[in-house]
Amino acid sequence: MSELNTTSSKEPVLTLRQMTKVYPGVVALDNVDFAVYGNEVVGLVGENGAGKSTLMRIMVGLVQPDEGTITVSSGERIVLKDPTTAIKYGIGMVFQEGSLVSNLSILENLFLCHELGFQQFGFLSKRAMHDAAVSVLAQVKIHVDVDTPVGEVSPAVRQMVEIARLLWLSKLYQHQNPILILDEPTTVLADSERETLFAILQDIKQHASIVLISHRLQEIVENSDRIVILKDGKNVAAVAASDTSIAEIEQLMVGHTFAADRYLEGDQTAPRAEEILKVQNLSKKGVFEPLDFTVRKGEIVSLVGLVGSGKEEVCKCINGLAKADTGTILLEGKKLSSGSPSHAVSAGIGHIPIDRREEGLAAAMTVAENINLLVLKSLKVAGMINPALERKNARHWIDECRVKTPSVTTLCANLSGGNQQKTVIAKWLSSRVRFLVLDHPTRGVDIGAKEEIYKLIRQLAKDGIGMVIMCDTLEEDIGLSNRMLILKDGRLVQEVACPPNQKPTPVDIIEFIV
Amino acid sequence: MIDKRPKETAKEQQTNMLHGKTRGIPTICYTIALLFVVGFVFWLGNANFISAYNLNTIASFGAILLMVALGQMCAILVGGIDLSVGGVMSFVSVVFVKVVPMLGYWAYPLCMLIGVFIGYVNGNILTRIRIPSFIATLGTGGILMSLAMLVAPVPVNVPSDSWGVLNIFNESFLQISNALYISVLVFLLYYIVLRFIIVGRNIFYVGSNIKMSWMSGINEVKTRNVAFMLSGFGAAMAGIMVSATSLGSNPYVGSPYILNSIASVVVGGTALTGGIGGAINTLFGALLLSVLQNGMTVVGVDQYFQQSILGLMIIISVVLTFDRSKTPVIK
Repeated sequence: MSELNTTSSKEPVLTLRQMTKVYPGVVALDNVDFAVYGNEVVGLVGENGAGKSTLMRIMVGLVQPDEGTITVSSGERIVLKDPTTAIKYGIGMVFQEGSLVSNLSILENLFLCHELGFQQFGFLSKRAMHDAAVSVLAQVKIHVDVDTPVGEVSPAVRQMVEIARLLWLSKLYQHQNPILILDEPTTVLADSERETLFAILQDIKQHASIVLISHRLQEIVENSDRIVILKDGKNVAAVAASDTSIAEIEQLMVGHTFAADRYLEGDQTAPRAEEILKVQNLSKKGVFEPLDFTVRKGEIVSLVGLVGSGKEEVCKCINGLAKADTGTILLEGKKLSSGSPSHAVSAGIGHIPIDRREEGLAAAMTVAENINLLVLKSLKVAGMINPALERKNARHWIDECRVKTPSVTTLCANLSGGNQQKTVIAKWLSSRVRFLVLDHPTRGVDIGAKEEIYKLIRQLAKDGIGMVIMCDTLEEDIGLSNRMLILKDGRLVQEVACPPNQKPTPVDIIEFIV
Repeated sequence: MIDKRPKETAKEQQTNMLHGKTRGIPTICYTIALLFVVGFVFWLGNANFISAYNLNTIASFGAILLMVALGQMCAILVGGIDLSVGGVMSFVSVVFVKVVPMLGYWAYPLCMLIGVFIGYVNGNILTRIRIPSFIATLGTGGILMSLAMLVAPVPVNVPSDSWGVLNIFNESFLQISNALYISVLVFLLYYIVLRFIIVGRNIFYVGSNIKMSWMSGINEVKTRNVAFMLSGFGAAMAGIMVSATSLGSNPYVGSPYILNSIASVVVGGTALTGGIGGAINTLFGALLLSVLQNGMTVVGVDQYFQQSILGLMIIISVVLTFDRSKTPVIK
């Protein structure tokens, strides 16, 4: 085995060169090189939006690169046009959200679409499939009834079934060294299951390569051989795991360049004295423990934490999108009813959602119709919506938020990401919100639009609107906020002040998060 | 919409996205153009096609279809579908014939209320019991069909001493039947509700993006209920009109209108996915369908062959009117 190890690890089994992928308004990947060697675990790290997912999606054929080449160990150039082609080259991925069919059994999932090998006299041999399933699962140390529907087993088992399926498929296509991509495999696992997973991965490594994506740098450093770091769609570094530290990787991830002016810190204003939002003893079982905090008028409070820290759920409770188990939320002293978005909206709490298309816009409707959604009542004359007033209101807020649109009747679907986002902001501002939850407000928008959104946020603070914000990058959180609340595993662990000119560094903050 | 422009480069695409230049000709223009083409062909086939008498026939058939289709459109705009329109129409139609001798003019509001109430029930099965509207209305539609047959196992007629009550529909003004004016009023009602009333606008928001609507505080339960009530109202009005203009009814009158109403809505360019479309679209959709059905008979197309042509025309017009580029998955 060791012999195999040394010979195959010199030549990469898969090489991606100069990968470039441009989405409207965003360069997701900019000439990124990435190689996978035989029998190794390579960790891939980077902040949200660094290009990890795009790169992995290219490797499994879900996304086509605009430029760049992919070659296999023999030097042959390949085109991965879809996941079926990718698996024929031995490349498969275990997705964060899982890709099994939950109402089919483990056995059916394992061999889904590849059952032909089990044919006997034109029928599928149930017994042969059963035996094969048991032996395949034994590879990943899973011993369960293979006829159980996947929906009924734990996430850990589901993940193992996916890994086993990929191993079996690559064997089916006679691959000596398959490549398994695991996207955030540990988020769904308990601590003990996590250890089991990594033990199994070390086992699998003897005859496969593994690409590991995780936000938990600890496990990346402990379990990978090599670590590749991406930032803003570019290669930053590749280091051997044995001679690096978490701190060093953090440095590389967040980058040294920290333009002081990028987040318009010069415009940062001190919050007013009055409290606008008061959260008392708020908790949701299994998601976050009871927590208290307040937000003052004109204050930007950033919630920071990893996936699973509970910050998203806290925001959902504020917006009434989720029901808290205990506690109260007061807006200017008035209690909000739990779990009612319409009550939150009428109380004056707005929400810039993370997913514009799904949650923020009616994309098939016009810019004016989207902006006026919340204020139609005030645009009525004699009981009917007045088109002239509607246009006037829309124009006013289009100017105010600098939405670049040819006309008020342009469909939102035809705007760029940044202008769509500004339309969503305009919609809430037009309703005179007093408190705003910003869930990744700059996700998927280009740099120019980002800056304008920062400007808007600063202006809102000046106008006395209280804000809770969750950002794509730590830098952004630090740069924008007056104060940061750090959550970890559902607990509020730390509060960090972020006054202008005395901002903490990302490295200081990451310490509390991880 | 068929896009025959040369393929844009990535850069152009990007700038076009930015400036929103990708809007094409409004889909309604295709429907209107198709209406003229079809009309012209029938006129060539038989000059009597555009005689005053025949246009009147088209209008009276179209008026009934239009009212069912306007209702159906509301259900489709909000993201659902109403398969009970045929049942509502049959049921209301026979009930109307039965109650006119007893209630006189009160039969009108009663029958309209029956339609609205059934719509309210449909809406609540969808929003509160949470059963897809396709199934919910399939069920209520079946129930109503059978109720209609129980109410009137054989075709029923309005006794001649009650015909005066039906004059609201049967008299004419400026040589045009009142029934036509009434359908225009119903059209205006739907147009105004959808265009200028908040709950009508909310139908578009909910149909376009129900999650966003909920998160923005729109009462999506009420909105969807109202959409189905509007659907029930349209079918009820059509049922009343059928009975009033033919002085009688039978429990089968509604059946052909289930699919014809959906076809009119879709041919007019309203997306089955919800949120896109409107009353004017449906007006022309219903008109196109009526012209087709009447025209084929006028030019003498074999009756058994008519359904094939109708089916083909529906597919062709949807190819022209429905903007498939905005719908990633067609199911």
